[in-house]
Amino acid sequence: MSKVKSFAGGAHPPGNKGLSSGAAVVRLPAPEVVTVPLCQHLGAPSKPVVKPGDEVKRGSVIGEQNGFISLPTHSPVNGKVLRVENAPMPHMRSGPAVVIKTESEDGGEVYEPISDWKNADISLIINRIKEAGVCGMGGASFPTYVKLSPPEGVKIDTLIINGVECEPYLTADHRLMLERADDLITGMNILARVLGVSDPCIGIEVNKPDAIKLLEKKGARVVRLKVQYPQGAEKQLIDAAAGREVPAGGLPLNVGVVVQNAGTCVAVADAVCKGMPCIRRITTVSGLGVTSPGNFDVCVGTPVSTLIEAAGGYRGDVQRLISGGPMMGMAMFTDAAPATKGMSGILALTPDEVRDVAEGPCIRCGKCVDVCPLRLCASVIATASEYGKWEDAEKAGALNCMACGTCSYVCPAGRYLVHHIKRAQNEIRAIIRAREA
Amino acid sequence: MAESRIFDLAVSPHIGSSQTTKRVMWDVVIALIPALIAAFWFFGPRALLLAGVSVGAAVLTEWLCLKFMKRPVNFAFDGSAVVTGLLLAYNVPAGVPWWLPVLGSAFAIAVAKQAFGGLGHNIVNPALLGRAFLMASFPVLMTAGWIAPMQWKDGERIDVQACGVPTAQLSESGELDALSGATPLNVLKQTFTWEGDPERSEEVRSMLFSRESLKNLFMGRIGGCIGETSVIMLLLGAIYLILRGVLELRLPLSYLGSVALFGWLFGGPGWLDGNALFHLLAGGVILGGFFMVTDMVTTPVTKKGRIIFGIGAGLLTMVIRRWGGYPEGCSYSILLMNLATPLIDRYTRPQSFGEVSSNG
Repeated sequence: MSKVKSFAGGAHPPGNKGLSSGAAVVRLPAPEVVTVPLCQHLGAPSKPVVKPGDEVKRGSVIGEQNGFISLPTHSPVNGKVLRVENAPMPHMRSGPAVVIKTESEDGGEVYEPISDWKNADISLIINRIKEAGVCGMGGASFPTYVKLSPPEGVKIDTLIINGVECEPYLTADHRLMLERADDLITGMNILARVLGVSDPCIGIEVNKPDAIKLLEKKGARVVRLKVQYPQGAEKQLIDAAAGREVPAGGLPLNVGVVVQNAGTCVAVADAVCKGMPCIRRITTVSGLGVTSPGNFDVCVGTPVSTLIEAAGGYRGDVQRLISGGPMMGMAMFTDAAPATKGMSGILALTPDEVRDVAEGPCIRCGKCVDVCPLRLCASVIATASEYGKWEDAEKAGALNCMACGTCSYVCPAGRYLVHHIKRAQNEIRAIIRAREA
Repeated sequence: MAESRIFDLAVSPHIGSSQTTKRVMWDVVIALIPALIAAFWFFGPRALLLAGVSVGAAVLTEWLCLKFMKRPVNFAFDGSAVVTGLLLAYNVPAGVPWWLPVLGSAFAIAVAKQAFGGLGHNIVNPALLGRAFLMASFPVLMTAGWIAPMQWKDGERIDVQACGVPTAQLSESGELDALSGATPLNVLKQTFTWEGDPERSEEVRSMLFSRESLKNLFMGRIGGCIGETSVIMLLLGAIYLILRGVLELRLPLSYLGSVALFGWLFGGPGWLDGNALFHLLAGGVILGGFFMVTDMVTTPVTKKGRIIFGIGAGLLTMVIRRWGGYPEGCSYSILLMNLATPLIDRYTRPQSFGEVSSNG
């Protein structure tokens, strides 16, 4: 058995994964109406190519790629376009979306499978991953094909599959590793071939022994990781699994590494081997605010309210509705927002689970400094930010912060450290832009 | 379509550890209780009275200051003023008049804490500045108010001599007056200045360093300030804090290690012949090491900085004990290092993740 690896710093929030980790993935049929966002990926939104009244097929393009860091968007159903409008979004107030009336959910227009991917032209595979609209399924939703096209001269020698799922409550990747292990390994091998990497590995926290065992049995190389938040943060995962430190302000490819989420591997396998565009994902619905937490395979565009109903509906006093995990996820003001490719979970949290305290003065306990996985002094940056001293905040490394929230989690004074640091980041970036202009 | 519900928005993270400032402060108060029990046992009910008025004065002063400055007065009940009041009382001898700790606590809260902006903004440890204020203003009361500890035998209270040093003999030497309840560190300090009588000094020192004397130091059967004498009870409190995840061990360990090292290096009459254990157990080192060096507000936030702070405070403690004007240097050493904290923080900021590699 390989050694359990980890990174320096971090915290141990209660996992609460038992709520849903035993629940097998339930495939939800498409709802009567889907609201498909045109910006489910990081980068420029897709440009809508349909208008109200158009007939669309499952898998047909409804929004085309609009720039390098962008992706096309596909219809998850056969049906008729009702509207192209601004709709509430999980990660922002509202965004462009195509509203489609569902007629059926089979057949449709899928791509030609590339069954001989082991010998196919690599550019063909990358193009397929692009045209199928595959983006990072871990939450950041970065277009996958961009990560597979490193700049000239950059040599990638390591591919790490992120099966860590360090956010509390979330179990979607855990279930995906158990139930779609073969597709996961196929996707990993396709990505390894594209990148020219010979020995890819999967990083998994040791709280998922069944997934580790299964994937090892199927021949994958698993790196066991300690249960510690944020073990699944890209830089921390690379540090733990490959022993390399990504330069501040740099990318994993600067140290020859590409990281892809476990869900992304499955999406890649679907796109390449089945020609299936990215129109579904597995997501966790959990928290003490839902009756029966579980994991669901859903169409993008399915309203969050439908997901909540699938989990038995709300229970008790729901204080907060979150898209993603409780550490980095976004609070949503409405459950009318639709599911997206990057939605790893929906949490309905009760007042018992949410920490909602008045912000007190910093008592300089230094806990935020102890736990920061990026070795930043969060309290120093946050204080500079509160006083509007953007230069001080920048000098203290504000731009390196990835907002993992570990500092806020441990802060006894309940300071909104992440909020203050994010604000400083915005201000500093504005200053830098002004300087360059 | 059903009216859809509007949920609250908030920034991530949405969950947090159960540790709050209030819980930290009250944990410290709980951890200080065993030493108070020891003080009651050895110095009598007067120790409780002084601790009580000191805490009362601290909380009242905090409340008045907050009221006066139109700030939320519930800060007065977050436990931090209670900690300050208790620590102030622990740092005065049990024989002082009741108004002395009241004055000290009021000064600690009003001047050392609230004048700088209240919780989290004070530069030096309020309780220690309060003590320094009392030492400067009432030096006689603060150094003559020692009470010899009491011992119980067959249901009756009997006085014991300070750490096994026979009182009569000490008085006979003509150099030491009224030492019946003197602290062991006082006695040690005087042995360094008995010029012309090296044999006598050696004899007293060997008594101080004897197994029985060290045992008394450990239990607290010695003269000293109210809360500093009973090492075992202070350690009990420290263990509680460690179990509650309140105590970060870099500060206490580097401080105690530094006191032991420098105590051995120059804590005796010559070089390399000090008794490290005696220096650890005597005076306020254990109280300071676990409850004042560890004051979060006035010590560095960086890991390296905390170790530097502890070593520096230990060195200063021993320098004052050996060559300074006072027999005990614990409180002044911490105050001096408090002042160096911003500087230490500035120069020990860790290199952030990936910075080394990006700079080549």
